[in-house]
Amino acid sequence: MAYFSGLTDALRITFVQMMLVSFIAMVIFAYGMIINFQKWGAGVTGYALEPEAGSKGSAIRFLKTWWNQVVEESHHGHGKPILEVLVLDIVLQRRILKRSPFRWFMHFTLVAGWMSLFALSGMMFTVEMAERVVELPFTAAQFREFLQVPNDIFGYLLLIGVTIALVRRLFVKDVREASIMYDWVLLGTVFIVTITGFLSDGIRTGDIGWSLGLDPSIAPPAALFHSVISLLFCIAFIPYSKYIHVIATPLAILANKGGE
Amino acid sequence: MAKRQPSIDTKNLTAVQLMELDSCTRCGECVNWCPTYAASGQKPGLAPRDKILRWRQFMNKSYGLKAKLFGPTEIPSSELDEFKDDVHGCTTCGICATVCESGINTVELWESMRTNLVKKGIGPFGKQGMFPKLIGQYHNPYLLDQKARLDWVPEDVTIADKANIVYFTGCTAGYKQLALAFATSRVLNKLGIEFTMLGEEEWCCGSALIRTGQVHVDDVARGVAKHNVEAIKAKGATKVLYACAGCFRASKVDWPRLIGEELPFEVIHITEFLADLIKKDKIKWETSIDKTVTYHDPCHLGRHVGVFDAPRYVLEHIPGVKFVEMDRIKEFQRCCGAGGGVKAGIPDLALGVAESRVKDALETNADILSSACPFCKRNLSDGRDSLKADLEVEDVIVLVAQALGLSVEEPKSE
Repeated sequence: MAYFSGLTDALRITFVQMMLVSFIAMVIFAYGMIINFQKWGAGVTGYALEPEAGSKGSAIRFLKTWWNQVVEESHHGHGKPILEVLVLDIVLQRRILKRSPFRWFMHFTLVAGWMSLFALSGMMFTVEMAERVVELPFTAAQFREFLQVPNDIFGYLLLIGVTIALVRRLFVKDVREASIMYDWVLLGTVFIVTITGFLSDGIRTGDIGWSLGLDPSIAPPAALFHSVISLLFCIAFIPYSKYIHVIATPLAILANKGGE
Repeated sequence: MAKRQPSIDTKNLTAVQLMELDSCTRCGECVNWCPTYAASGQKPGLAPRDKILRWRQFMNKSYGLKAKLFGPTEIPSSELDEFKDDVHGCTTCGICATVCESGINTVELWESMRTNLVKKGIGPFGKQGMFPKLIGQYHNPYLLDQKARLDWVPEDVTIADKANIVYFTGCTAGYKQLALAFATSRVLNKLGIEFTMLGEEEWCCGSALIRTGQVHVDDVARGVAKHNVEAIKAKGATKVLYACAGCFRASKVDWPRLIGEELPFEVIHITEFLADLIKKDKIKWETSIDKTVTYHDPCHLGRHVGVFDAPRYVLEHIPGVKFVEMDRIKEFQRCCGAGGGVKAGIPDLALGVAESRVKDALETNADILSSACPFCKRNLSDGRDSLKADLEVEDVIVLVAQALGLSVEEPKSE
């Protein structure tokens, strides 16, 4: 596919090679998640217990322990219904809103933008794949145009969120002093992915603001760069970095029935 | 060559708790609210966020990707020792759990870490190490004779041999803060509530062991929980009343876990019991307490199990009481500083936290700082004395007794 044409003829990346990069990203992600599940599964299955002698960390043990905690009754009396927890505490992030409406706005725009763009990219990918095997009532190019508006909306949401987060971490003294590399890497990579997304789209469409006057002929390598780092940072890197909280935090909130 | 072993293990830490370490987003809310971090002059190691970070690093060094590929990285024992000191510098008040944006059950995480380290021979902290021996041998932490459990009972108090209601006194009220025991028993008598007591069959509730990471030592905690449950069953009671928040929490949350089954009786705090009687108009007050009263929520009664309203309801119905609230109340209350073994292990830190709470009360211009827990009363009184503040510190049940015209003093011998 021409879209993934690479930097030069000599450095051409084909569709197949792009699929290979995606596959590698998925494998790195899956391996990392297994390592994490095994690490978590090295824990015991209930209160005040010890690990079974000689047993290693097990992903299955983790999943079973987590599920048992989700469904067991809380003696503390703090438990909330699972649907309420899913909608209010996980999707709408009520716990952050309670603490700071400003930080909630920052995090919610960031997450809503990130997740929605992830889903829209997945839809675009599905159409591109489907087009190769079945006849669709529209072309992939038409579908890309159709997604332009939602991509813009959620892209700007993400940009607002990540910019606030970055500015806050850079210029609010307490936050800056408490930040460690673990925090910076997450924020930095999200920022790079976001900016390269806008740039590659701007170059492709000739958008005055985002193309930076660059020649549209470099749109394919720009899009390629954005796609590769998105795959690496937003999928492959999740289990090995602070990105893991996008999986662990909802699971913790569910296990603790919304928390205290 | 033998394979290098991880420096830490996962004893007592559940799979979910290990996941919680990775769910922390380091938002810093816990740091903003932690009472011991504040009272210590913001010692970085006491910040809950920092403890989670360090244990996550310990876990990654021992069980993470690098450990899996190249073997575990050794954690110096000095680091583990320092961590032990920091994890014991926590009153287990639970404010970090309340404000945690990731919903982490931090109190149980700290307790599990403590137990994990104690099992490795690291900790507990200072005098806390005496608890298992004292409670195992004497069945109370004060080294006092079990036979003297009911020595405080004055002649004017009637205790049934068997009754539907048991008053579980607790070691502190039964041996040290007798006014609490006088008040509770006389109030129940005055209201015509028939109750019984366990006497020398009442053993320590085990709270001190559980909170300080010694739940496993010689299985004393499980032993006392089983014994108390059996003793209560033998009395034929269906309701057990507590005026001690620590015993109440241990009975309600910890005993069922320790014995592995639900309790065959209802666990009720005395303020809940009294609030119910007031609602049924069964209390006839006799004296007016014309003072301004504020209320400090004990962590074990409030945040840990959610009893916030009953004590306030009782106080608001005492004639003459002008009830005022402090800034930080209910689930956002500031701890008194006594819990989690801090009073026994790090008294200076406990005092610092207490002083902060007393200052909260002084801002309300209250005459009385009330609470519903003997440990809170003790530590808040110490904080008050340290600040030389003009403030009475008193338990809710004592104020109720006074409003019913009852003495909370020991009868004078003739």
